[in-house]
Amino acid sequence: MIVFDQVSKRYGAYQALSELSFSAPKGQVLGLLGQNGAGKTTAMNILTGCLAPSSGKVSIGGFDLLAQPREAKRLLGYLPEQAPLYDEMTVRAYLRFACELKEVQRSAIPKHIAQIGEKTGLNDVMDRKIGNLSKGYRQRVGFAQALCGSPEVIVLDEPTVGLDPRQSSEMRGLVKALSGEHTVLFSSHILSEVQSICDRIIILHHGRIICDSALQALRQGERRLRAVVACGEGMLLPRLRQLKSVKYVQVERLSEAGTTQVVLTAEGDAPVERELFTLLSGLQTPILRLSPVEDSLEEIFLRATGDAG
Amino acid sequence: MRAIFRREMQSYFYTPAAYVFMGVFLMLGSVFFAVGNLSARSSNLLNLLSQLSYLWMLLSPVLTMRLLAGERRRHTDQLLYSSPCSLGALVGGKYLAACAVLLLTVAATFVYALIVAIYGRLYLAETLVGYLGLILQGCAFLALDLFVSCFARSQMTAVIVGVGANLLVWLSDVVASAVTVEALRYVLKFISLYQRFAPFARGQLSFSNVLYYLLFIFIMLFMSVRVIDARRWSEA
Repeated sequence: MIVFDQVSKRYGAYQALSELSFSAPKGQVLGLLGQNGAGKTTAMNILTGCLAPSSGKVSIGGFDLLAQPREAKRLLGYLPEQAPLYDEMTVRAYLRFACELKEVQRSAIPKHIAQIGEKTGLNDVMDRKIGNLSKGYRQRVGFAQALCGSPEVIVLDEPTVGLDPRQSSEMRGLVKALSGEHTVLFSSHILSEVQSICDRIIILHHGRIICDSALQALRQGERRLRAVVACGEGMLLPRLRQLKSVKYVQVERLSEAGTTQVVLTAEGDAPVERELFTLLSGLQTPILRLSPVEDSLEEIFLRATGDAG
Repeated sequence: MRAIFRREMQSYFYTPAAYVFMGVFLMLGSVFFAVGNLSARSSNLLNLLSQLSYLWMLLSPVLTMRLLAGERRRHTDQLLYSSPCSLGALVGGKYLAACAVLLLTVAATFVYALIVAIYGRLYLAETLVGYLGLILQGCAFLALDLFVSCFARSQMTAVIVGVGANLLVWLSDVVASAVTVEALRYVLKFISLYQRFAPFARGQLSFSNVLYYLLFIFIMLFMSVRVIDARRWSEA
């Protein structure tokens, strides 16, 4: 549905994007992660036609964005980082304008607006001026605008910025509801948010993709186990380090006298549990607790951006 | 284009822009009419129309300042650029809305013609030619100020630069007399809108000047589209 093919963007001497290539199939919720200045907003502005790439090609639904902008943009809904709102208009008039821009048939507009209002919880404020709405409602209006014309691709640039926790949670709920029906490109620097919404993430760093993976696969690259063993540290550690599957051993803390708590890092498919059990049963040392350590997205992100320098 | 036109028209009347434009124009117009026609017992409206044409210079930036500069400031330009609406339709819709407000304002001055027709003698053909010149002159200034508005991010800048550009184009033949470079002098004389309006102010219909105005408007709108498009390739 979305294809970025070797897309670069240069502002004078500054290279904002370098040969960015990725595609997103229909129905996927794709998270774009990166630190400030990584190129997320530039990539989104190029995808929505607000900026032109210095080189490369972008297509939406098979339509080249530069050669067939009208056809490509018909498939697109966009909520920029700052919601594009006209304060002097009522919510209804604004959504009507957005529908007209998206070339929704005139007779179908009132029904379409009612449906979007229901989906986004705006029906109560339809006839209020946008300038008088709270930040949370304003963001919803921006989101509703992106849904006008039922576009197949929805691009959301940090939609929860400036919202309080409850509003953020509501916004995440709205985005989640789009998955399956729409292809969603979602940027954020709040990692837990991406974790809870997206099927796949792309991490950008200095305008390059340094990680492109399904969330599940990201976590499976390397895994960690936390073990509490009824044995002293001095005797246990040298033996653990000799295990074939174990890459690193990290002592966390001594929970009680005579026990050791360690975190073992191993390759995703290595039989580390089996080796550990064989070792400790040979030593007649009981395992008091064994549990997987869930890698947070923060750790994945920091590892990826740290590796990329 | 229709969606853009409708929104701009609504916006003109939701905000003070249209009221300020129409109010100031008609207030000053009424003063000119009272002094030049009622007090002087003159039924010649051409002088009045000639005086009114000066007001476009000062007032047309009020209509154009928010058309593009306002969109950039509010970041609503991203909504427009990401929509299927072409840049030509976008600029065209905005320009036509500004022209519609200008036409409504001009239409309100028909009251002066009606008063003259009732209490004196209205020279209809000459007056109509004068009105045509007044409208073309106003539309030309709107196109120029829309173009200027492309470069500004703040509305205040758009107004100030707009008034400056209007003065330059209006008085470019005066400026030309002080210029020694022949080619530049020729260009300045050519773009002078003052010279183009003079025949209309005498009640003479000049097709070459009508064509000049239409071409001037087209070039300004075309350049506005090109500037907006060029910004997509370069803007940080």
